[in-house]
Amino acid sequence: MDNLLSRTRHQAVFVFFAAAVVCWAQPQINPDNVKLTMAHVQGSVYVLMGDGGNITVQVGKDGVAMVDTGFAPLAVKAMAEIRKLNTGPVVWIVNTHVHTDHTGGNAEIMKLGMTRESVGPPRLVAQSNVLNRMSGPQPNGAPPIPEAAWPNDEYFLPTKDFFFNSEAVIVYHVPNAHTDGDSLVFFRRSDVLSTGDIFTPEHYPIIDLARGGSVEGEIKGLNQIIDITVPAKYQEGGTMVIPGHGRLCDEADVVEYRNMVTIIRDRLVDMIHRGMTLEQVKAAKPTLDYDTQYGATSGIWTTDMFVEAAYKSLSTKTVSEK
Amino acid sequence: MMRSRLLASILLAAASMLGQGVPPPSGIGPPGRPQPPKSGEAAAPVDFTGYWVSVVSEDWRWRMVTPIRGDFASIPMNEEARRIGNAWDPDKDIAAGEQCKSYGAPAIMRVPGRLHISWADENTLKIETDAGKQTRLLHFTVKPPQSVERSWQGYSIANWERPVRGSGTPGFGLGATREGTHGKSLEVTTTELRAGYLRKNGPPYSENTVLKEYYDLHKERNGDTWFTVTTIVTDPKYLNEPFVTSTDFKKIPDGAGWDPSACSAK
Amino acid sequence: MFAALLAVPAFAQVDFTGEWAPLYHEDGPERLPGPELGDYTELPINAAARMAADTYDADRISVVPEYQCRPHGADYSMRGLGNLRIWQEIDQNSQKLIAFHTHMLAWDSERTIWMDGRPHPPAYAPHTWQGFSTGVWDGNMLTITTTHLKVNYLRRNGVPRSDKAIFTEHWMRHGDYLTVVTVIEDPVYLTEPLVRSDNWSLDPGQNIGIFGCEYAPEVPRPEGTVPAHLPGNNPYLREFAGWYGLPYEATRGGAETMYPEYMKKIAGEYHPPAKCSRYCKCTSLFDCNLNSK
Repeated sequence: MDNLLSRTRHQAVFVFFAAAVVCWAQPQINPDNVKLTMAHVQGSVYVLMGDGGNITVQVGKDGVAMVDTGFAPLAVKAMAEIRKLNTGPVVWIVNTHVHTDHTGGNAEIMKLGMTRESVGPPRLVAQSNVLNRMSGPQPNGAPPIPEAAWPNDEYFLPTKDFFFNSEAVIVYHVPNAHTDGDSLVFFRRSDVLSTGDIFTPEHYPIIDLARGGSVEGEIKGLNQIIDITVPAKYQEGGTMVIPGHGRLCDEADVVEYRNMVTIIRDRLVDMIHRGMTLEQVKAAKPTLDYDTQYGATSGIWTTDMFVEAAYKSLSTKTVSEK
Repeated sequence: MMRSRLLASILLAAASMLGQGVPPPSGIGPPGRPQPPKSGEAAAPVDFTGYWVSVVSEDWRWRMVTPIRGDFASIPMNEEARRIGNAWDPDKDIAAGEQCKSYGAPAIMRVPGRLHISWADENTLKIETDAGKQTRLLHFTVKPPQSVERSWQGYSIANWERPVRGSGTPGFGLGATREGTHGKSLEVTTTELRAGYLRKNGPPYSENTVLKEYYDLHKERNGDTWFTVTTIVTDPKYLNEPFVTSTDFKKIPDGAGWDPSACSAK
Repeated sequence: MFAALLAVPAFAQVDFTGEWAPLYHEDGPERLPGPELGDYTELPINAAARMAADTYDADRISVVPEYQCRPHGADYSMRGLGNLRIWQEIDQNSQKLIAFHTHMLAWDSERTIWMDGRPHPPAYAPHTWQGFSTGVWDGNMLTITTTHLKVNYLRRNGVPRSDKAIFTEHWMRHGDYLTVVTVIEDPVYLTEPLVRSDNWSLDPGQNIGIFGCEYAPEVPRPEGTVPAHLPGNNPYLREFAGWYGLPYEATRGGAETMYPEYMKKIAGEYHPPAKCSRYCKCTSLFDCNLNSK
């Protein structure tokens, strides 16, 4: 029990990553105050956890593949942890989406990941909307993102795959979920799926409307995760799931989260069809049964903000359906 | 020579075990004058005294309200008992002055209420209930007196449970300890009961019922102290098998909420 | 030889091993055929749990394929919904007890209760149905703490139990009876710990079979359908109160309803039917039918 992360620390971590999302800012982080923990997931796949998004690391004779690179200030520390596992070159990086708690370390890792064996810089894979957003003008007057951090291997078809460290790695685009540039990354032999922020079991999903996110896309993304994952005996184990933030999971955990988002969506659709305003919907507390598990009343991403984003997302769809 | 060395080794091992504070099986110990048996209170490994409240987390609709006539769910009663239960007539019980029929020892711990447990004397643990204003006396003695008048609470013999050690000679096995004799349960056997009801709506138990109880204290992570009493009612006249329930009580700081109420037949 | 005599191996303090059959002498109808919709009595639940249960639709178990083979959690398992086998694992070299193991009939669930002092996994470790359990002795009572449980339920009519719960048990053996006190602390859905106790009887002749489960979608539905009642739209919630003559508020659960003083509060509002018509018998799977009398 002494090892259990306190709810207070969870909330602090959540505030950091939510800030990165909503404010498009790199939070001030002192790496000396941050503990990064590397844990073996399954097969060749590990996960690096700490402040910022989870970083998936696959290692083997071919070198290192990563999913996401975390916050920029932690890149050196993250690389040091990876080097304890493998000293080969970082060959592949996949960004699950554009937010800085998952991409902030791109430029640094692109440099640090190169070794004598490198035949070139790492291939930085991302859905093309990630490149579009990184290379274009930044919202809220934020400074431009240096080109060194941009994906250099963007894709626009539904999937992209490559073979690395003796297994197929398949990247799936999930349109308009958390954002418009989300990717799932499946390590087929290791049987591990990285989901980015489509799945964040500790909190309500952040639907980044400004960057193309939507509730319906989020639900489709969660269903896609469930389609890919295969549990072992009695709905447990089998395909392991690395969420964007939070603990290691499997299909059953994703099902609970998917159910939650779907049920709330259904309630909001009903309320919208009955002509309820946003304020009336909030007053009706459509998320009450889930608030004690996923909600927050303060901070950067509150229950109210989730309800508002979902309402707007569904209202737009509902209007367009008409 | 070998044999005497072996014997010396065995005795040395025994002395070592005793020196480590490993409790010897009964009958083996350092020589000296036999110690008088401790009183029930002095021998108590745990403390049940104080005020307790029942927290009804099971059988709610059979305990918090009078169960529906004929509702005997969960009781392994035979057809004769069912026939008697279906003929339950609380007005008749009131007329006969038997309002307390469902407050007898086999049932009282399931009646929601508060308990006050104290030592009446060093060999008698007293349990008072506010529900039905009943008093149970648990006697730390070997056997009941010659003649005991039957009563709702019967006559209870208590001891601090020592788990079964198995058959064989009462010595310790070679190279093995025999832990597990450090029981902390209160074991109570009650007989000499008046016939009564297992629940308020009339499922009967006979006067030949033997009631066995085990009281176990446990402390929880949030600091609360509880005890659980496992109640085993054996009544071949009305039950197909022993009726086993376990009831949980939470310790409360004092008698606040103590609310004595007379027995009610309805 | 001399050194062997001096070595004092520690055996388990009480032997829980064996085949155990659950006794249904408490809450038989709830534990056997299952709880009735809207029955939240004897649960210290909060408003979130109540709403989750009110909006639960039992169709979910068949329509959501991933629920068809979803097992009970370790905590719900110990409500005795199946036969139980317990055995010890002893280290051959040290003869120390390393663990107890349990096997339950339902979903062939197996649990390891570590007795060797190892710590629980860190917060980021995966959760499982049976969780991670460690045990310590308190006299001859075994106290077990289980963490890392997956989301599950307190009751099979939709009352949930979160994955933040900590589950404590106290095992006590008295002769051939095993009493298991279960304590569920759930900061998400409970206002205070839920403390219950259930009993098992030693049954050496018991032979637990295979449970087995394979999911098979039988109901055509759009992908991702999750059956649920909209808030306020569940038409079945008052049935339970009506059948048993209970005041509706009492069936909504909550800590207040579990203490003796609540009896006075509802005294004038209980209007039972003239006689029992539902689950009047119910001590085993074979006699617990709706109309059994």
